[in-house]
Amino acid sequence: MIKRAFFGILKPKLHYKQIDEAPAQPTSVRASQKITLYIDDPDQNTEASVLKVGDPVKSGQKIALTAKADSSYLLASRSGRISNIALFVGIFGKKFTAVTIDMDADAAQIMDDVFKSASQTPSLENARAMLAGLPGKPDFNVFLSGGHPVKTIAVLGADSDLLSITRQYFVKNNIISIKTGIDLLRKITGIHNVILIVPHHLAQVAGSSGATVKTVDSEYPSAHPHLIRQHILSSEAPISGAGVAFFSAEAVSAIGAAFNTGKPPLEKLLSFISKDGTRRLVSVPIGTSAQDILNEFNEKIKDGDQLIVGGPLTGISVYASDYPVLPDTDTLMVLSKKKIVEREESACVNCGECVRVCPSGIQVNLLVRCLEARKFQEASDRYDLFSCIECGFCSYVCESRIPVFQHINLAKYTLEHMKEAEKNNV
Amino acid sequence: MSSNTIKLTVSHAPFWHNGSSTASKSRNILLDSLFAVVPGCYQYGRAAAGVVTIAVASAIIWELLINFLSRRSISVGDGNAAVIGMMLAMLMPATTPWWAVVTGTFLAVVIGKEIFGGIGANPFNPAVLGMAILMLGWPFLFDFNASVLNYAFDFKAIYPLVLSKSFGAHAVDSFTVMELLKGHQIGGIGATFGIGLIIAGVYLMIRGYIRWEISIFFLAGVFATALFFKWLNPFYAGPGFHLFTGYTLIGAFFLATEDASSPVNFIPMLIYGFLGGLLTVMIRNIGVHIDGVLYAVLIINLVHPLVDKIRPKAMGKGVSHE
Ligand code: SF4
Ligand code: SF4
Repeated sequence: MIKRAFFGILKPKLHYKQIDEAPAQPTSVRASQKITLYIDDPDQNTEASVLKVGDPVKSGQKIALTAKADSSYLLASRSGRISNIALFVGIFGKKFTAVTIDMDADAAQIMDDVFKSASQTPSLENARAMLAGLPGKPDFNVFLSGGHPVKTIAVLGADSDLLSITRQYFVKNNIISIKTGIDLLRKITGIHNVILIVPHHLAQVAGSSGATVKTVDSEYPSAHPHLIRQHILSSEAPISGAGVAFFSAEAVSAIGAAFNTGKPPLEKLLSFISKDGTRRLVSVPIGTSAQDILNEFNEKIKDGDQLIVGGPLTGISVYASDYPVLPDTDTLMVLSKKKIVEREESACVNCGECVRVCPSGIQVNLLVRCLEARKFQEASDRYDLFSCIECGFCSYVCESRIPVFQHINLAKYTLEHMKEAEKNNV
Repeated sequence: MSSNTIKLTVSHAPFWHNGSSTASKSRNILLDSLFAVVPGCYQYGRAAAGVVTIAVASAIIWELLINFLSRRSISVGDGNAAVIGMMLAMLMPATTPWWAVVTGTFLAVVIGKEIFGGIGANPFNPAVLGMAILMLGWPFLFDFNASVLNYAFDFKAIYPLVLSKSFGAHAVDSFTVMELLKGHQIGGIGATFGIGLIIAGVYLMIRGYIRWEISIFFLAGVFATALFFKWLNPFYAGPGFHLFTGYTLIGAFFLATEDASSPVNFIPMLIYGFLGGLLTVMIRNIGVHIDGVLYAVLIINLVHPLVDKIRPKAMGKGVSHE
């Protein structure tokens, strides 16, 4: 944990972790016995799923919930047989269908070659139909949705949470494949304005990507897409909304590799942070259980410890250590019980720290009073609830240790749910 | 053991915290106030130490009592009651009788804070409110001149603000800035030792326990206004005198900066602080009261929610979960 600075006269600061000059090679971790894919499933298609327990699956095969073109899907990272299909409800009611695949015993993988022929003629359709499950979770739907047409592609080479170096690693070590990916994206989308966003120290290597390079500073949360849009791309795109498609550097590099080789990459790179703070880069098949990674490094977890998917400020803590690595899992960290922050339902003392750090200029001190009183609508109408970009900084500095961020997310979730319900009732 | 039998802790992000807490802030303010209180006790002897002890203890007891009566969880651990008690003691003359001290902490903790909903909900600085009511009810107890009749000091034992008010700048010539800073003046237990208060204030500002914008602009307000009066009419005492007498320093560093009753945005803090300083000198020079700090603080407390509205707008829509 990073402590409050002795000199509190200045605004509290948190810095992103910078990748080393010569980062160690990522350790390859194998999945043991099975992989699990959490497929986004807001409408709960679990029942209507076209998938069946017992279905054989090839490595690289698209695992879609329905036969519809816009069905969400992931790619099986290993061949095997589906052994379980279940609904999984994550934080704030986010629904997934969890598909478990028992891996084939022999090491030789049966490759799915559906994509191979498609890769000969790169197109946005192909990419959308086959590559959304790539590591880095590229989202091709933004190009097709109505509203603002996309004018700019922003490639994020800066990590979004504090401890991760995953994206930086790609910029540093795979800039060639990022370049290939960028060229491909340009080709299939027809959008030529591509901007690669990196921390200052990577500006030089980023130059060879062929994209316009912009840098973000090392201060959290400047690498947040909303702030990037606000501060860096404001000249490129209307602040109001779309106009920019964001891709992580890993996703872009994977897109490049997929079209080049005809085989979609299925290994996710992530930064693994053990209890003692050691950070390692790990490369694992998507769907590998976190437990496999823990075992590899002999990291023992005990009752009361915390397993966090995502970084220390915005990640989620999961219930069980068999939580799988997903296409957007950039960080996995273990926190020992004694380092867990005690939160309290205490009153805001109006110390103002949250207001000083909030990148959105929200009066968090007033907002939090409103939220503690459960006046969610008022919070949205008068105290800018929906201006929040969910960086978690306010909770990090709160002197009363109020779970401010949790209150905010709960309020947003509740209001959106109500809106949704009203829509359905009409 | 199967991994699934392990019960992991599940909580909401963020998983880090900078380690700050209300209790540690209170602890810092309390310890820091000793820079002014210890010299005060040295100057006024055991009586002063008695007032401090009774004030802090009774403030804590009042809060405990309210916690108990209202069946809320015990909140004295946050140290806020102790801080209020300490502030109050710092404002009082060493001769304040115990019952007045206890009444003062009752007014401050119960009326000034708990009635409004406890910590963070008080519209006024509780200690200032308590002290102001006490002074209205028992003015003779807080006549600083009368309070030191039994002391023999090697400096002029007359409350400097009384002198300047009645006889003008001329009468307070003997109070040089250096003398005032060294605490060679009579006044509240923790309000006279200027050097100590400044050390304490600078420490609190640097550590971020108080918002420096408020303190600095409070002092700037005092300075500018006093200068203006002096320029209007040399009868009035100058800025140096106003800065280091009465409750000015304690007001700037300990009273106006109380969290709940002061603004948190930059420009509002400047306005709030400056207004406090301005009102202080206005009340001293043309008001009916001898010292203006307490009333000035109460008035700026009152306008703080209004002032705090002056700020840039929030960013456009951020993230929603749709
Ligand atoms: S989580 Fe939201 S309210 Fe809190 S600091 Fe970040 S943007 Fe501001
Ligand atoms: S940081 Fe916490 S206690 Fe301080 S003003 Fe913000 S919400 Fe209130």
